[in-house]
Amino acid sequence: MNIDLEQFLIVSIILFCIGLLGVVVRRNLIVMYMGLELMLNAANLALVSFSHFRDNLDGQILVFFIITVAAAEVAVGLALIVALYRKRQTTDVNELTSMKL
Amino acid sequence: MDISLISLEVGVALIGIIILLTDLWTPAENKARLGWIAIGGLITVFCYNFSTFDQATAGINGYSKDGLAVYFQGFFVMAAILVILLTMSYASRVSSGISELYALICFALVGMCFAAGASNFIMLFVAVELITTSFYVLTSFERHRLRSLEAGIKYLIMGATSSAIMVFGIALIYGTTGTLDFNEVSRSLLTPAGLSMQLLLHLGALMVLGGLIFKLGAIPFQLWVPDVYQGAPIPVTAFLSSGSKAAGIVLIFRTLAEACPSLLDQEWLPKLLSITAGITILYGSLCALRQRNLKRLLGYSSIASAGYILLGIVCLDNIGSQAVLFYLSGYLFGILAAFTIISVVSEESGDEDISILANLHQRSPFMATILTLAIASLAGIPPLAGFLGKFALLRSAFGKLNDQHSSMPWLIGIAMLGIVISLYYYFKIIREIYWGPGLYWKEKKPSAEPLCCPRAAEIALLICLFALIGLGLYPEPILSLAGEATNNLFSSRP
Repeated sequence: MNIDLEQFLIVSIILFCIGLLGVVVRRNLIVMYMGLELMLNAANLALVSFSHFRDNLDGQILVFFIITVAAAEVAVGLALIVALYRKRQTTDVNELTSMKL
Repeated sequence: MDISLISLEVGVALIGIIILLTDLWTPAENKARLGWIAIGGLITVFCYNFSTFDQATAGINGYSKDGLAVYFQGFFVMAAILVILLTMSYASRVSSGISELYALICFALVGMCFAAGASNFIMLFVAVELITTSFYVLTSFERHRLRSLEAGIKYLIMGATSSAIMVFGIALIYGTTGTLDFNEVSRSLLTPAGLSMQLLLHLGALMVLGGLIFKLGAIPFQLWVPDVYQGAPIPVTAFLSSGSKAAGIVLIFRTLAEACPSLLDQEWLPKLLSITAGITILYGSLCALRQRNLKRLLGYSSIASAGYILLGIVCLDNIGSQAVLFYLSGYLFGILAAFTIISVVSEESGDEDISILANLHQRSPFMATILTLAIASLAGIPPLAGFLGKFALLRSAFGKLNDQHSSMPWLIGIAMLGIVISLYYYFKIIREIYWGPGLYWKEKKPSAEPLCCPRAAEIALLICLFALIGLGLYPEPILSLAGEATNNLFSSRP
């Protein structure tokens, strides 16, 4: 079975939208963070498939950078979420309201 | 590959590492002084880099060191030096790890310097992420304070969202053009095959611009600004409002002018940008009116100033970008002087309400004078630097008035209105210095004890003072530098 570029792209766009929806709709920080990772991986999928169908490796180089950066972001982000959990015993963003207009 | 081309970035990264290492042998009470090493190192590295730099556009794959890059690198190094001076006077309030604060500022500076010279989407992405990831840590640096932590998390979620959107935009650009290099992206559009894909490419470029506008703090990505500015430690807020913002601007210039020149011919682009600029100016100015927290007030005013910067970008020509560069230089010294004084004054009470400024003209005439000048410069009062910056922006906008179908008259009107509104909230600060009734919730007279200014803050303030007045009275050197930096930017445009 041959899978062509459009199908890869459709999957990647669906992944991106699920991720964005997760960030916008869900109120739990960990789940929001999973949504963010999904968005980054959607971009990775798009880049890899473009790179494959174009016979050009630049896209895959960028994917390496994205994976590395995403790992760094997760390291920092989870540390922050843990620090917040220690302070407030919650990861719900609705509780993050110490600063208001 | 010529390593001397990136000697500035390598040098700054080394300074960061050296500070982290020196920290191991430094007794706790001397750690704040490590900042002097950082400042000395930054000056040395920048001078070395500047002396070895030759004007012929030098570049390696993905990095070009042209006039624009050098101008912004000078700007970033200046901002970092002032921020490190501010950090040194803030050191007593950082419970632990002051040297990590210096090192992280250096690492963010590396990202900014790379961003200034990015000519490839990989470089753009990595530089932006280096800046943002350093700022996630910096923002939540005082993690025993809930507000700092909360600001860090808000910045993290929104920053990561915007960079994910940006990455997807880069993927779309790569998909349509098959390359990530700015020049090749712009060239690939000239072929007939490229034209058919233009829509997708423009969508991608818009997503990239969206991610960069997040750095600028303009509508629709402005939500994080007030909270993060209020929650972050003051030196970090100062660096966010100067360095991080300018990194967004240089990347917007590069994306628009170098990667996607075909976008500039679209009729909707100036319209979209002017709507963004107009709403940003109004939003920032109107929301700042009722703020009492100084950092939050300056946060909203920095949203408004992002709007003025977009006003210069809307022009999409060399004069507009020259004005943006000059405005930024004036803005840097104004906002850093203001934050430095807020940091010194808020130290004893730990509060950042506007009423802590009461009686400042008796407690410290030096700081009261400089804060007045800085705020007047931000508000755009002649003959200070901020006035000339706003004047240059409006002049470049007036130059575009005669264009067909232009929304410029509206935008200029809104900008004028924004400037008038901003006079109110800026002068609220000045009124508080001289005639403030004091801490309103304690109902007592403001303290009249003299307030001494730490040495490091004093140096930063003196630099700002000279720059504010100097740029206002003798703008030619910086204006011509900014002109040189931008005279090739939109060169293909008529």
